[in-house]
Amino acid sequence: MPGFLRAALAIAAKDLRSELRTKEVLNASLAFSVTILLLFSFAFDPSSEELQQIGGGLLWMVFAFAGALTLNRSFARETQNDCLDALIASPASSSALYFGKALANFALLMAIEVFCLLVFGLFYNARLAAQFGTIILVIALGTWALTVIGTMFSALTVNLRLRELMLPTLVYPLMIPALMAAMTLTTDLLAGTPINNENRIWLRVLLAFDVIFTALATFFVDTVLVG
Amino acid sequence: MDLRNSQFLFIGFTAAWVIPMVYLILLNLRDRKLRRELDRVKRMVEQSTKP
Amino acid sequence: MSESTVRDKVLFGLAGFAAILLTWNLHTIFLVMPDELNQGAIWRIFFFHVPAALLGLTGFGLGMIFSLTYLFTNNLRYDAIAESIIEVALVFAAVNLVTGSIWARIIWGIWWAWDARLTSMLVCWLIFAGYLMLRRAIDEPTQRARLSAVVSIFGAVDVVIVWKSIEWWRTQHPAPVLSIRNGGGMDPGMESTMYWNLLALFCFAVVLVMVRMRQARISQEIDSLRRLAHSY
Repeated sequence: MPGFLRAALAIAAKDLRSELRTKEVLNASLAFSVTILLLFSFAFDPSSEELQQIGGGLLWMVFAFAGALTLNRSFARETQNDCLDALIASPASSSALYFGKALANFALLMAIEVFCLLVFGLFYNARLAAQFGTIILVIALGTWALTVIGTMFSALTVNLRLRELMLPTLVYPLMIPALMAAMTLTTDLLAGTPINNENRIWLRVLLAFDVIFTALATFFVDTVLVG
Repeated sequence: MDLRNSQFLFIGFTAAWVIPMVYLILLNLRDRKLRRELDRVKRMVEQSTKP
Repeated sequence: MSESTVRDKVLFGLAGFAAILLTWNLHTIFLVMPDELNQGAIWRIFFFHVPAALLGLTGFGLGMIFSLTYLFTNNLRYDAIAESIIEVALVFAAVNLVTGSIWARIIWGIWWAWDARLTSMLVCWLIFAGYLMLRRAIDEPTQRARLSAVVSIFGAVDVVIVWKSIEWWRTQHPAPVLSIRNGGGMDPGMESTMYWNLLALFCFAVVLVMVRMRQARISQEIDSLRRLAHSY
Protein backbone atom coordinates (compact mmCIF):
# COMPACT_ATOMS: atom_id res chain seq x y z
CA MET A 1 0.00 0.00 0.00
CA PRO A 2 2.60 2.66 0.91
CA GLY A 3 4.31 1.99 -2.44
CA PHE A 4 1.07 2.56 -4.28
CA LEU A 5 0.30 5.75 -2.42
CA ARG A 6 3.80 7.10 -2.81
CA ALA A 7 3.76 6.45 -6.54
CA ALA A 8 0.31 7.99 -6.93
CA LEU A 9 1.26 11.10 -4.97
CA ALA A 10 4.47 11.47 -6.94
CA ILE A 11 2.56 11.36 -10.19
CA ALA A 12 -0.07 13.74 -8.85
CA ALA A 13 2.66 16.17 -7.81
CA LYS A 14 4.32 15.90 -11.22
CA ASP A 15 1.09 16.63 -13.05
CA LEU A 16 0.21 19.56 -10.81
CA ARG A 17 3.70 21.04 -11.07
CA SER A 18 3.68 20.73 -14.84
CA GLU A 19 0.25 22.31 -15.07
CA LEU A 20 1.04 25.16 -12.70
CA ARG A 21 4.14 25.96 -14.72
CA THR A 22 2.23 26.63 -17.92
CA LYS A 23 -1.31 27.10 -16.59
CA GLU A 24 -2.68 26.34 -20.09
CA VAL A 25 -5.55 24.18 -18.98
CA LEU A 26 -6.25 26.22 -15.88
CA ASN A 27 -6.57 29.45 -17.81
CA ALA A 28 -8.61 27.93 -20.60
CA SER A 29 -11.06 26.26 -18.22
CA LEU A 30 -11.41 29.29 -15.99
CA ALA A 31 -11.98 31.64 -18.91
CA PHE A 32 -14.49 29.28 -20.44
CA SER A 33 -16.45 28.72 -17.23
CA VAL A 34 -16.60 32.33 -16.16
CA THR A 35 -17.65 33.41 -19.65
CA ILE A 36 -20.54 30.98 -19.68
CA LEU A 37 -21.66 32.03 -16.22
CA LEU A 38 -21.58 35.68 -17.22
CA LEU A 39 -23.43 35.04 -20.47
CA PHE A 40 -26.16 33.22 -18.60
CA SER A 41 -26.43 35.98 -16.05
CA PHE A 42 -27.29 38.32 -18.92
CA ALA A 43 -29.80 35.88 -20.32
CA PHE A 44 -31.68 35.37 -17.08
CA ASP A 45 -32.84 37.81 -14.48
CA PRO A 46 -30.64 36.93 -11.46
CA SER A 47 -33.34 37.59 -8.91
CA SER A 48 -36.02 35.50 -10.56
CA GLU A 49 -37.53 32.33 -9.25
CA GLU A 50 -36.53 30.47 -12.41
CA LEU A 51 -32.90 31.04 -11.65
CA GLN A 52 -33.28 29.41 -8.26
CA GLN A 53 -34.58 26.34 -10.02
CA ILE A 54 -31.96 26.08 -12.74
CA GLY A 55 -28.99 27.38 -10.78
CA GLY A 56 -27.74 23.95 -9.75
CA GLY A 57 -28.14 22.58 -13.25
CA LEU A 58 -26.35 25.52 -14.77
CA LEU A 59 -23.40 25.25 -12.40
CA TRP A 60 -22.92 21.57 -13.10
CA MET A 61 -23.16 22.04 -16.84
CA VAL A 62 -20.36 24.58 -16.57
CA PHE A 63 -18.36 22.19 -14.38
CA ALA A 64 -18.89 19.31 -16.79
CA PHE A 65 -17.73 21.28 -19.82
CA ALA A 66 -14.74 22.77 -18.02
CA GLY A 67 -13.99 19.27 -16.77
CA ALA A 68 -13.92 17.85 -20.28
CA LEU A 69 -11.29 20.43 -21.25
CA THR A 70 -9.11 19.54 -18.27
CA LEU A 71 -9.55 15.78 -18.35
CA ASN A 72 -8.84 15.45 -22.04
CA ARG A 73 -5.33 16.75 -21.44
CA SER A 74 -4.72 14.39 -18.56
CA PHE A 75 -3.27 11.46 -20.47
CA ALA A 76 -2.92 13.30 -23.74
CA ARG A 77 -0.04 15.37 -22.38
CA GLU A 78 2.02 12.20 -21.94
CA THR A 79 1.94 11.23 -25.60
CA GLN A 80 4.81 13.57 -26.46
CA ASN A 81 8.30 12.11 -26.21
CA ASP A 82 6.89 8.68 -25.34
CA CYS A 83 6.26 9.77 -21.78
CA LEU A 84 3.25 7.48 -21.51
CA ASP A 85 5.28 4.41 -22.40
CA ALA A 86 7.91 5.43 -19.88
CA LEU A 87 5.28 5.85 -17.17
CA ILE A 88 3.71 2.48 -17.92
CA ALA A 89 7.11 0.80 -17.92
CA SER A 90 8.02 2.39 -14.59
CA PRO A 91 7.66 0.45 -11.33
CA ALA A 92 4.48 2.38 -10.59
CA SER A 93 1.44 0.20 -11.29
CA SER A 94 -1.15 1.36 -13.81
CA SER A 95 -3.56 1.84 -10.93
CA ALA A 96 -1.09 4.13 -9.15
CA LEU A 97 -0.56 6.08 -12.38
CA TYR A 98 -4.31 6.40 -12.82
CA PHE A 99 -4.91 7.36 -9.22
CA GLY A 100 -2.16 9.96 -9.26
CA LYS A 101 -3.59 11.59 -12.36
CA ALA A 102 -7.07 11.45 -10.89
CA LEU A 103 -5.88 13.23 -7.76
CA ALA A 104 -4.18 15.95 -9.77
CA ASN A 105 -7.27 16.42 -11.96
CA PHE A 106 -9.47 16.52 -8.89
CA ALA A 107 -7.36 19.25 -7.33
CA LEU A 108 -7.41 21.32 -10.53
CA LEU A 109 -11.13 20.88 -11.06
CA MET A 110 -11.98 21.72 -7.44
CA ALA A 111 -9.95 24.92 -7.69
CA ILE A 112 -11.75 25.94 -10.87
CA GLU A 113 -15.14 25.03 -9.48
CA VAL A 114 -14.81 26.80 -6.15
CA PHE A 115 -13.81 29.90 -8.07
CA CYS A 116 -16.86 29.48 -10.33
CA LEU A 117 -19.06 28.99 -7.30
CA LEU A 118 -17.93 32.33 -5.90
CA VAL A 119 -18.48 34.03 -9.27
CA PHE A 120 -21.92 32.44 -9.38
CA GLY A 121 -22.67 33.67 -5.87
CA LEU A 122 -21.65 37.15 -6.89
CA PHE A 123 -23.51 37.51 -10.15
CA TYR A 124 -26.56 35.44 -9.33
CA ASN A 125 -27.10 36.66 -5.79
CA ALA A 126 -27.13 33.09 -4.60
CA ARG A 127 -27.22 32.45 -0.88
CA LEU A 128 -24.06 30.45 -0.43
CA ALA A 129 -23.49 30.97 3.25
CA ALA A 130 -26.51 29.00 4.44
CA GLN A 131 -25.32 25.58 3.36
CA PHE A 132 -21.76 26.34 2.32
CA GLY A 133 -20.12 23.30 3.90
CA THR A 134 -22.65 20.92 2.39
CA ILE A 135 -22.38 22.64 -0.99
CA ILE A 136 -18.63 22.09 -0.97
CA LEU A 137 -19.17 18.46 0.02
CA VAL A 138 -21.59 17.88 -2.85
CA ILE A 139 -19.28 19.62 -5.29
CA ALA A 140 -16.39 17.49 -4.08
CA LEU A 141 -18.36 14.25 -4.50
CA GLY A 142 -19.64 15.25 -7.90
CA THR A 143 -16.21 16.39 -9.03
CA TRP A 144 -14.68 13.11 -7.90
CA ALA A 145 -17.30 11.30 -10.03
CA LEU A 146 -16.39 13.42 -13.03
CA THR A 147 -12.67 12.95 -12.35
CA VAL A 148 -12.90 9.17 -12.01
CA ILE A 149 -14.80 8.68 -15.24
CA GLY A 150 -12.96 11.40 -17.12
CA THR A 151 -9.46 10.27 -16.19
CA MET A 152 -10.35 6.67 -16.98
CA PHE A 153 -11.62 7.54 -20.42
CA SER A 154 -8.75 9.91 -21.01
CA ALA A 155 -6.55 6.84 -20.61
CA LEU A 156 -8.81 4.80 -22.85
CA THR A 157 -8.91 7.32 -25.68
CA VAL A 158 -5.29 8.50 -25.46
CA ASN A 159 -4.12 6.77 -28.62
CA LEU A 160 -7.26 7.19 -30.69
CA ARG A 161 -7.68 9.26 -33.82
CA LEU A 162 -10.74 11.21 -32.72
CA ARG A 163 -9.80 11.60 -29.08
CA GLU A 164 -11.35 15.05 -28.54
CA LEU A 165 -14.66 13.78 -29.92
CA MET A 166 -14.68 10.34 -28.29
CA LEU A 167 -13.98 11.53 -24.77
CA PRO A 168 -17.11 13.66 -24.30
CA THR A 169 -19.22 11.15 -26.27
CA LEU A 170 -18.31 8.39 -23.87
CA VAL A 171 -18.08 10.37 -20.62
CA TYR A 172 -21.28 12.42 -20.67
CA PRO A 173 -23.81 9.57 -20.92
CA LEU A 174 -21.96 7.70 -18.17
CA MET A 175 -22.00 10.81 -15.99
CA ILE A 176 -25.77 11.21 -16.21
CA PRO A 177 -26.68 9.61 -12.85
CA ALA A 178 -23.95 11.51 -11.01
CA LEU A 179 -24.86 14.79 -12.70
CA MET A 180 -28.56 14.27 -11.97
CA ALA A 181 -27.75 13.74 -8.31
CA ALA A 182 -25.32 16.65 -8.10
CA MET A 183 -27.65 19.04 -9.92
CA THR A 184 -30.64 18.20 -7.75
CA LEU A 185 -28.65 18.50 -4.54
CA THR A 186 -26.95 21.75 -5.57
CA THR A 187 -30.23 23.34 -6.61
CA ASP A 188 -31.75 22.48 -3.25
CA LEU A 189 -28.71 23.65 -1.30
CA LEU A 190 -28.47 26.94 -3.18
CA ALA A 191 -32.09 27.59 -2.28
CA GLY A 192 -31.14 27.13 1.35
CA THR A 193 -32.80 23.74 1.79
CA PRO A 194 -30.63 21.39 3.85
CA ILE A 195 -30.22 17.67 3.16
CA ASN A 196 -33.54 16.21 4.16
CA ASN A 197 -35.45 13.01 3.59
CA GLU A 198 -36.42 14.15 0.11
CA ASN A 199 -32.99 14.67 -1.37
CA ARG A 200 -30.87 12.41 0.81
CA ILE A 201 -31.38 9.68 -1.77
CA TRP A 202 -29.39 11.68 -4.29
CA LEU A 203 -26.52 12.03 -1.85
CA ARG A 204 -26.49 8.26 -1.52
CA VAL A 205 -26.58 7.88 -5.29
CA LEU A 206 -23.57 10.18 -5.61
CA LEU A 207 -21.65 8.27 -2.95
CA ALA A 208 -22.52 4.92 -4.50
CA PHE A 209 -21.47 6.19 -7.93
CA ASP A 210 -18.14 7.40 -6.57
CA VAL A 211 -17.35 4.17 -4.73
CA ILE A 212 -18.44 1.82 -7.50
CA PHE A 213 -16.69 3.59 -10.32
CA THR A 214 -13.49 4.25 -8.40
CA ALA A 215 -13.29 0.51 -7.79
CA LEU A 216 -14.14 -0.36 -11.40
CA ALA A 217 -11.69 2.14 -12.81
CA THR A 218 -8.81 1.06 -10.57
CA PHE A 219 -9.50 -2.53 -11.61
CA PHE A 220 -9.76 -1.94 -15.34
CA VAL A 221 -7.20 0.79 -15.96
CA ASP A 222 -4.46 -1.79 -16.39
CA THR A 223 -6.49 -3.53 -19.11
CA VAL A 224 -6.92 -0.22 -20.85
CA LEU A 225 -3.33 0.99 -20.67
CA VAL A 226 -1.44 -2.23 -21.08
CA GLY A 227 -3.76 -5.01 -22.24
CA MET B 1 -62.04 -2.16 -32.34
CA ASP B 2 -61.98 1.25 -30.77
CA LEU B 3 -60.55 3.57 -33.36
CA ARG B 4 -59.73 6.63 -31.27
CA ASN B 5 -56.09 7.67 -31.57
CA SER B 6 -55.72 5.22 -34.42
CA GLN B 7 -53.62 7.78 -36.24
CA PHE B 8 -51.05 7.63 -33.47
CA LEU B 9 -51.25 3.87 -33.45
CA PHE B 10 -50.41 3.93 -37.14
CA ILE B 11 -47.43 6.23 -36.53
CA GLY B 12 -46.31 4.01 -33.67
CA PHE B 13 -46.46 0.85 -35.71
CA THR B 14 -44.75 2.52 -38.63
CA ALA B 15 -41.92 3.59 -36.35
CA ALA B 16 -41.73 0.10 -34.82
CA TRP B 17 -41.23 -1.36 -38.27
CA VAL B 18 -39.28 1.32 -40.11
CA ILE B 19 -36.42 1.18 -37.61
CA PRO B 20 -35.67 -2.56 -38.01
CA MET B 21 -36.22 -2.31 -41.76
CA VAL B 22 -33.69 0.49 -42.06
CA TYR B 23 -31.29 -1.65 -40.05
CA LEU B 24 -31.86 -4.61 -42.39
CA ILE B 25 -31.09 -2.40 -45.37
CA LEU B 26 -27.91 -1.19 -43.70
CA LEU B 27 -26.92 -4.80 -42.92
CA ASN B 28 -27.50 -5.70 -46.53
CA LEU B 29 -25.37 -2.84 -47.81
CA ARG B 30 -22.58 -3.78 -45.43
CA ASP B 31 -22.86 -7.41 -46.52
CA ARG B 32 -22.36 -6.48 -50.14
CA LYS B 33 -19.45 -4.18 -49.31
CA LEU B 34 -17.78 -6.94 -47.28
CA ARG B 35 -18.17 -9.52 -50.02
CA ARG B 36 -16.65 -7.17 -52.56
CA GLU B 37 -13.76 -6.51 -50.20
CA LEU B 38 -13.31 -10.24 -49.56
CA ASP B 39 -13.11 -10.99 -53.29
CA ARG B 40 -10.63 -8.19 -53.78
CA VAL B 41 -8.37 -9.39 -50.98
CA LYS B 42 -8.58 -13.01 -52.16
CA ARG B 43 -7.45 -11.88 -55.59
CA MET B 44 -4.62 -9.94 -53.96
CA VAL B 45 -3.43 -13.07 -52.16
CA GLU B 46 -3.58 -15.13 -55.34
CA GLN B 47 -1.55 -12.57 -57.22
CA SER B 48 1.17 -12.39 -54.58
CA THR B 49 1.48 -16.19 -54.39
CA LYS B 50 1.65 -16.69 -58.18
CA PRO B 51 5.18 -15.84 -59.29
CA MET C 1 -19.06 -26.24 -46.31
CA SER C 2 -22.02 -28.08 -44.83
CA GLU C 3 -21.77 -26.06 -41.63
CA SER C 4 -22.72 -22.90 -43.45
CA THR C 5 -25.66 -24.53 -45.22
CA VAL C 6 -26.97 -25.82 -41.89
CA ARG C 7 -26.60 -22.28 -40.57
CA ASP C 8 -28.41 -20.87 -43.57
CA LYS C 9 -31.23 -23.37 -43.11
CA VAL C 10 -31.57 -22.44 -39.45
CA LEU C 11 -31.52 -18.77 -40.43
CA PHE C 12 -34.27 -19.09 -43.01
CA GLY C 13 -36.27 -21.38 -40.79
CA LEU C 14 -36.17 -18.96 -37.90
CA ALA C 15 -36.95 -16.00 -40.15
CA GLY C 16 -39.91 -17.82 -41.66
CA PHE C 17 -41.19 -18.86 -38.26
CA ALA C 18 -40.85 -15.29 -36.96
CA ALA C 19 -42.69 -13.90 -39.98
CA ILE C 20 -45.58 -16.32 -39.63
CA LEU C 21 -45.84 -15.79 -35.89
CA LEU C 22 -45.74 -12.02 -36.30
CA THR C 23 -48.51 -12.08 -38.88
CA TRP C 24 -50.64 -14.27 -36.60
CA ASN C 25 -49.94 -11.94 -33.69
CA LEU C 26 -50.97 -8.88 -35.69
CA HIS C 27 -54.28 -10.60 -36.29
CA THR C 28 -54.65 -11.26 -32.57
CA ILE C 29 -53.55 -7.77 -31.57
CA PHE C 30 -55.97 -5.97 -33.82
CA LEU C 31 -58.98 -8.21 -33.97
CA VAL C 32 -59.02 -10.31 -30.82
CA MET C 33 -57.65 -8.06 -28.06
CA PRO C 34 -60.35 -6.05 -26.30
CA ASP C 35 -60.48 -2.27 -26.23
CA GLU C 36 -59.02 -0.22 -23.46
CA LEU C 37 -61.13 2.34 -21.65
CA ASN C 38 -59.40 5.63 -22.19
CA GLN C 39 -56.62 5.33 -24.71
CA GLY C 40 -58.41 4.23 -27.83
CA ALA C 41 -56.38 2.28 -30.30
CA ILE C 42 -52.90 3.37 -29.24
CA TRP C 43 -52.59 0.92 -26.35
CA ARG C 44 -52.00 -1.90 -28.81
CA ILE C 45 -48.51 -0.53 -29.35
CA PHE C 46 -47.83 -2.17 -25.99
CA PHE C 47 -47.31 -5.51 -27.73
CA PHE C 48 -44.25 -4.13 -29.49
CA HIS C 49 -43.12 -1.56 -26.97
CA VAL C 50 -42.56 -4.00 -24.10
CA PRO C 51 -40.89 -6.86 -26.02
CA ALA C 52 -38.58 -4.30 -27.63
CA ALA C 53 -37.57 -3.10 -24.16
CA LEU C 54 -36.99 -6.63 -22.88
CA LEU C 55 -34.97 -7.62 -25.92
CA GLY C 56 -32.96 -4.40 -25.84
CA LEU C 57 -32.03 -4.66 -22.18
CA THR C 58 -31.29 -8.38 -22.40
CA GLY C 59 -29.10 -7.67 -25.40
CA PHE C 60 -27.11 -5.03 -23.59
CA GLY C 61 -26.72 -7.31 -20.57
CA LEU C 62 -25.54 -10.19 -22.73
CA GLY C 63 -23.23 -7.83 -24.57
CA MET C 64 -21.59 -6.90 -21.30
CA ILE C 65 -21.23 -10.57 -20.30
CA PHE C 66 -19.62 -11.48 -23.60
CA SER C 67 -17.32 -8.46 -23.29
CA LEU C 68 -16.20 -9.72 -19.89
CA THR C 69 -15.74 -13.19 -21.38
CA TYR C 70 -13.53 -11.73 -24.06
CA LEU C 71 -11.38 -9.96 -21.46
CA PHE C 72 -10.87 -13.23 -19.61
CA THR C 73 -10.27 -15.48 -22.62
CA ASN C 74 -8.79 -13.09 -25.22
CA ASN C 75 -10.78 -14.98 -27.84
CA LEU C 76 -11.96 -12.49 -30.46
CA ARG C 77 -15.00 -14.66 -31.18
CA TYR C 78 -16.63 -13.38 -27.96
CA ASP C 79 -15.90 -9.83 -29.00
CA ALA C 80 -17.71 -10.43 -32.30
CA ILE C 81 -20.70 -11.90 -30.46
CA ALA C 82 -20.81 -8.95 -28.08
CA GLU C 83 -20.68 -6.45 -30.93
CA SER C 84 -23.44 -8.18 -32.89
CA ILE C 85 -25.75 -8.52 -29.92
CA ILE C 86 -25.23 -4.91 -28.86
CA GLU C 87 -25.88 -3.59 -32.34
CA VAL C 88 -29.17 -5.49 -32.61
CA ALA C 89 -30.08 -4.46 -29.05
CA LEU C 90 -29.64 -0.81 -30.08
CA VAL C 91 -32.22 -1.31 -32.83
CA PHE C 92 -34.76 -2.75 -30.40
CA ALA C 93 -34.00 -0.10 -27.78
CA ALA C 94 -34.61 2.57 -30.42
CA VAL C 95 -37.97 1.00 -31.24
CA ASN C 96 -38.78 1.00 -27.52
CA LEU C 97 -37.85 4.65 -27.08
CA VAL C 98 -39.76 5.86 -30.13
CA THR C 99 -42.92 3.82 -29.44
CA GLY C 100 -42.75 4.84 -25.79
CA SER C 101 -42.53 8.49 -26.73
CA ILE C 102 -45.51 8.26 -29.10
CA TRP C 103 -47.53 6.40 -26.49
CA ALA C 104 -46.60 8.90 -23.78
CA ARG C 105 -47.79 11.71 -26.02
CA ILE C 106 -51.28 10.20 -25.91
CA ILE C 107 -51.44 9.13 -22.29
CA TRP C 108 -49.60 11.96 -20.61
CA GLY C 109 -49.73 14.65 -23.28
CA ILE C 110 -45.94 14.96 -23.29
CA TRP C 111 -43.35 13.44 -25.57
CA TRP C 112 -40.97 12.56 -22.79
CA ALA C 113 -40.90 11.97 -19.02
CA TRP C 114 -37.97 11.38 -16.73
CA ASP C 115 -39.17 8.14 -15.23
CA ALA C 116 -36.84 5.29 -14.30
CA ARG C 117 -37.41 3.12 -17.31
CA LEU C 118 -37.37 5.69 -20.09
CA THR C 119 -34.33 7.48 -18.67
CA SER C 120 -32.39 4.26 -18.14
CA MET C 121 -33.16 3.11 -21.65
CA LEU C 122 -32.07 6.44 -23.10
CA VAL C 123 -28.81 6.48 -21.14
CA CYS C 124 -28.24 2.85 -22.12
CA TRP C 125 -28.79 3.67 -25.78
CA LEU C 126 -26.40 6.62 -25.66
CA ILE C 127 -23.67 4.62 -23.94
CA PHE C 128 -23.84 1.67 -26.29
CA ALA C 129 -24.11 3.91 -29.34
CA GLY C 130 -20.85 5.36 -28.02
CA TYR C 131 -19.54 1.78 -27.81
CA LEU C 132 -20.15 1.36 -31.55
CA MET C 133 -18.65 4.75 -32.33
CA LEU C 134 -15.55 3.82 -30.37
CA ARG C 135 -15.18 0.57 -32.32
CA ARG C 136 -15.33 2.49 -35.56
CA ALA C 137 -12.44 4.66 -34.38
CA ILE C 138 -10.05 1.75 -33.69
CA ASP C 139 -8.56 -0.34 -36.49
CA GLU C 140 -6.52 -2.88 -34.59
CA PRO C 141 -8.80 -5.82 -33.63
CA THR C 142 -7.43 -6.70 -30.18
CA GLN C 143 -7.21 -3.08 -29.07
CA ARG C 144 -10.72 -2.50 -30.38
CA ALA C 145 -12.07 -5.53 -28.55
CA ARG C 146 -10.27 -4.67 -25.31
CA LEU C 147 -11.25 -0.98 -25.11
CA SER C 148 -14.85 -1.44 -26.20
CA ALA C 149 -15.23 -4.27 -23.67
CA VAL C 150 -14.31 -1.86 -20.87
CA VAL C 151 -16.84 0.68 -22.19
CA SER C 152 -19.55 -1.97 -22.29
CA ILE C 153 -18.88 -2.99 -18.69
CA PHE C 154 -18.87 0.59 -17.43
CA GLY C 155 -22.04 1.20 -19.42
CA ALA C 156 -23.94 -1.74 -17.98
CA VAL C 157 -23.05 -0.77 -14.40
CA ASP C 158 -24.03 2.82 -15.09
CA VAL C 159 -27.46 1.85 -16.41
CA VAL C 160 -28.16 -0.16 -13.28
CA ILE C 161 -27.24 2.88 -11.18
CA VAL C 162 -29.53 5.15 -13.22
CA TRP C 163 -32.40 2.69 -12.95
CA LYS C 164 -32.04 2.18 -9.23
CA SER C 165 -31.63 5.84 -8.36
CA ILE C 166 -34.68 7.05 -10.26
CA GLU C 167 -36.69 4.14 -8.92
CA TRP C 168 -35.79 5.05 -5.33
CA TRP C 169 -36.61 8.66 -5.98
CA ARG C 170 -39.88 7.80 -7.67
CA THR C 171 -41.07 5.84 -4.66
CA GLN C 172 -41.33 9.26 -3.06
CA HIS C 173 -42.72 10.93 -6.15
CA PRO C 174 -44.98 8.41 -7.82
CA ALA C 175 -45.34 9.03 -11.52
CA PRO C 176 -47.47 7.41 -14.19
CA VAL C 177 -46.13 4.17 -15.49
CA LEU C 178 -46.66 2.87 -18.98
CA SER C 179 -48.57 -0.34 -18.44
CA ILE C 180 -52.01 -1.84 -18.56
CA ARG C 181 -52.08 -3.27 -15.12
CA ASN C 182 -55.50 -3.40 -13.55
CA GLY C 183 -55.04 -3.64 -9.80
CA GLY C 184 -51.68 -5.35 -9.95
CA GLY C 185 -52.30 -7.97 -12.56
CA MET C 186 -52.57 -7.95 -16.29
CA ASP C 187 -55.42 -9.58 -18.11
CA PRO C 188 -54.09 -13.10 -18.81
CA GLY C 189 -55.22 -12.94 -22.42
CA MET C 190 -53.19 -9.79 -22.97
CA GLU C 191 -50.20 -11.22 -21.19
CA SER C 192 -50.06 -14.34 -23.32
CA THR C 193 -50.36 -12.32 -26.52
CA MET C 194 -47.46 -10.20 -25.37
CA TYR C 195 -45.37 -13.29 -24.76
CA TRP C 196 -46.21 -14.67 -28.19
CA ASN C 197 -45.05 -11.42 -29.73
CA LEU C 198 -41.97 -11.51 -27.55
CA LEU C 199 -41.18 -14.93 -29.00
CA ALA C 200 -41.67 -13.70 -32.57
CA LEU C 201 -39.49 -10.66 -32.02
CA PHE C 202 -36.91 -12.78 -30.21
CA CYS C 203 -36.61 -15.07 -33.25
CA PHE C 204 -36.30 -12.00 -35.42
CA ALA C 205 -33.55 -10.68 -33.14
CA VAL C 206 -31.67 -13.99 -33.26
CA VAL C 207 -31.80 -13.92 -37.07
CA LEU C 208 -30.38 -10.39 -37.08
CA VAL C 209 -27.60 -11.34 -34.66
CA MET C 210 -26.69 -14.39 -36.74
CA VAL C 211 -26.49 -12.32 -39.92
CA ARG C 212 -24.42 -9.69 -38.13
CA MET C 213 -22.09 -12.35 -36.74
CA ARG C 214 -21.52 -13.77 -40.17
CA GLN C 215 -20.47 -10.30 -41.27
CA ALA C 216 -18.12 -10.05 -38.30
CA ARG C 217 -16.54 -13.34 -39.32
CA ILE C 218 -16.14 -12.23 -42.94
CA SER C 219 -14.55 -9.04 -41.67
CA GLN C 220 -12.04 -11.01 -39.61
CA GLU C 221 -11.30 -13.22 -42.62
CA ILE C 222 -10.63 -10.12 -44.71
CA ASP C 223 -8.26 -8.80 -42.05
CA SER C 224 -6.23 -12.00 -41.88
CA LEU C 225 -6.14 -12.42 -45.67
CA ARG C 226 -4.96 -8.85 -46.03
CA ARG C 227 -2.19 -9.49 -43.55
CA LEU C 228 -1.29 -12.66 -45.47
CA ALA C 229 -1.19 -10.78 -48.76
CA HIS C 230 1.09 -8.11 -47.35
CA SER C 231 3.46 -10.64 -45.85
CA TYR C 232 4.50 -11.96 -49.26
